[in-house]
Amino acid sequence: MGADTPGCEGLSSEPPRVEGRIVASGLTKVFGAIKAVDGLSFTVEPGSVTGFLGPNGAGKTTTLRMILGLAAPTSGTGTISGLTYAHLPAPGRTVGAVLEATSFHPGRSARNHLRVFCAAAGLPDRRADEVLELVGLAQAARFPVHGFSLGMRQRLGLATALLGNPSVLLLDEPANGLDPEGIAWLRGLLRHFADVDGRTVLISSHVLSEVEQTVDRVVIIARGRLIYEGTLTDLEGASAGVVVRTPTPDQLAAALAPLNVKVTARPDGAVAVVGATPDAVGHVAWQAHVELHELRAGSSSLEETFLRLTADPGDPPAPGA
Amino acid sequence: MINLLRAEWRKVTTIKLGWAMLLGAMALAALGVVAQIASNGVPRSAALPLTSAVTQKSIAASASTAYLFSIVVGIILITTEFRHFTSRPTFLIEPRRGLVIVAKILVAALVGIIYGVVCAALTAAIMIPWFAAKGITIGWINYGVLQSLISDIIVIAIFAVVGVGVGVLVRNQIAAVIGALVYLFVLEPLVNIIPVIQNVYPYLPGAAAAAITGATRGAGTSHLDALQGGLVLLGWGLLFAACGWILTIRRDIP
Repeated sequence: MGADTPGCEGLSSEPPRVEGRIVASGLTKVFGAIKAVDGLSFTVEPGSVTGFLGPNGAGKTTTLRMILGLAAPTSGTGTISGLTYAHLPAPGRTVGAVLEATSFHPGRSARNHLRVFCAAAGLPDRRADEVLELVGLAQAARFPVHGFSLGMRQRLGLATALLGNPSVLLLDEPANGLDPEGIAWLRGLLRHFADVDGRTVLISSHVLSEVEQTVDRVVIIARGRLIYEGTLTDLEGASAGVVVRTPTPDQLAAALAPLNVKVTARPDGAVAVVGATPDAVGHVAWQAHVELHELRAGSSSLEETFLRLTADPGDPPAPGA
Repeated sequence: MINLLRAEWRKVTTIKLGWAMLLGAMALAALGVVAQIASNGVPRSAALPLTSAVTQKSIAASASTAYLFSIVVGIILITTEFRHFTSRPTFLIEPRRGLVIVAKILVAALVGIIYGVVCAALTAAIMIPWFAAKGITIGWINYGVLQSLISDIIVIAIFAVVGVGVGVLVRNQIAAVIGALVYLFVLEPLVNIIPVIQNVYPYLPGAAAAAITGATRGAGTSHLDALQGGLVLLGWGLLFAACGWILTIRRDIP
């Protein structure tokens, strides 16, 4: 990863080179006997806010570190704009990243922290004051970081990432420690970056509800593997479904077959139908003379779906597939 | 590269520790000088009189013990990045890790030179009025006092570079600092008294430092001459710098 060790070619041949697109391709990281990240592939598009979700220890930070060139993948590649991080020209000005809100020397003031990295990136020092203003830390600029709350550290981390006015942002748990007002502010800022500026925004979280109002797309991982990649709307549709209770589930499934829906048995003895409304299912059952004891819209929330997807060991089926 | 040097320089000057270590270095240097002058001539003192070249050189050379502080500063320059994870933004902004470590080593050397110049100047500032009050002439050139002061600077600067290398090898700050001090205070003197490995002693960093300044260290010790000692210590500095460079490129950044 150093100046003299380009290793494999920086150009990724697979997907076409799109400015601002993040591509993980078969990313794998093995620590001793543990596969922290296991053949992970996904794409993050510019102009959107993508949530990178998974429980603690799922491999989110390790994946981000590999994409950012801080950790060498055991196999696979991570690219930004079609290039590995080490090959990006002036990465300090094109990519902004925060990995947990702890990357500060406690004795250094917020302003001096930013000025160190202004110097490293070749940016004018006034940029430090600009980003402090932007994240609402202007008042605390000259105080040492050790007195900062978690929320203030989050803001300073974001300020560091924004120094070079990057077109690609990767933020690890940015909402962690922010108060509701801070989360609303962050949401507005990130939406503006994606919608107005067309930047790429990837934010990780272990709580879906924390980011569900901010993100358009989600990449969900668990135990280092991809569980779901797609729009939040699709995930929402999949989580809803229709719950049906009938003494003859096989007959119902046969009758529903032309609708091209997915019928699965639920652990409570009922049947879940995904891809149709309760009205449509009721109509088909009535036409086919299938006896129904219960018919209702599924009440599973996004969060429940997320927990179900990520909690079960083994291979839970990807919803919406 | 200029950008990286400016960034590394700011890292040193924006935390209190760099200044605290400088004060420590000055205190240690002053202590050695004052103790040697004050104790000279007391009954049963083995030291030669202050008028002798040996004693004057020895006093001038005592400031070099401030290398204990410069190696710690070198260690802290790098380990603080891993301890507080400032290594992340550092290597995100400049992913060419080799350049970052070169900048760090150069800044460490500069910091070491500053420490050395301050300690050498402090030594002179103590010696000049004290010797004048006693009516003794300092043999700056003919006794080699000036040479000893310059060698103080070299020793202190090289140890700062060695410290960066040690910090890359042992990323844990406490372990690296304690390890370095235990080595210099305990392990190296131990080598000197174990007959089988005694022969390598003159080539170890602490002994090489002593050879440069001409300070006596341990009775009956065979020392290299100043130039040889300088080359040996420079070799250690380069070895540690090279280790630091290679390991930083190869290992993952936490």
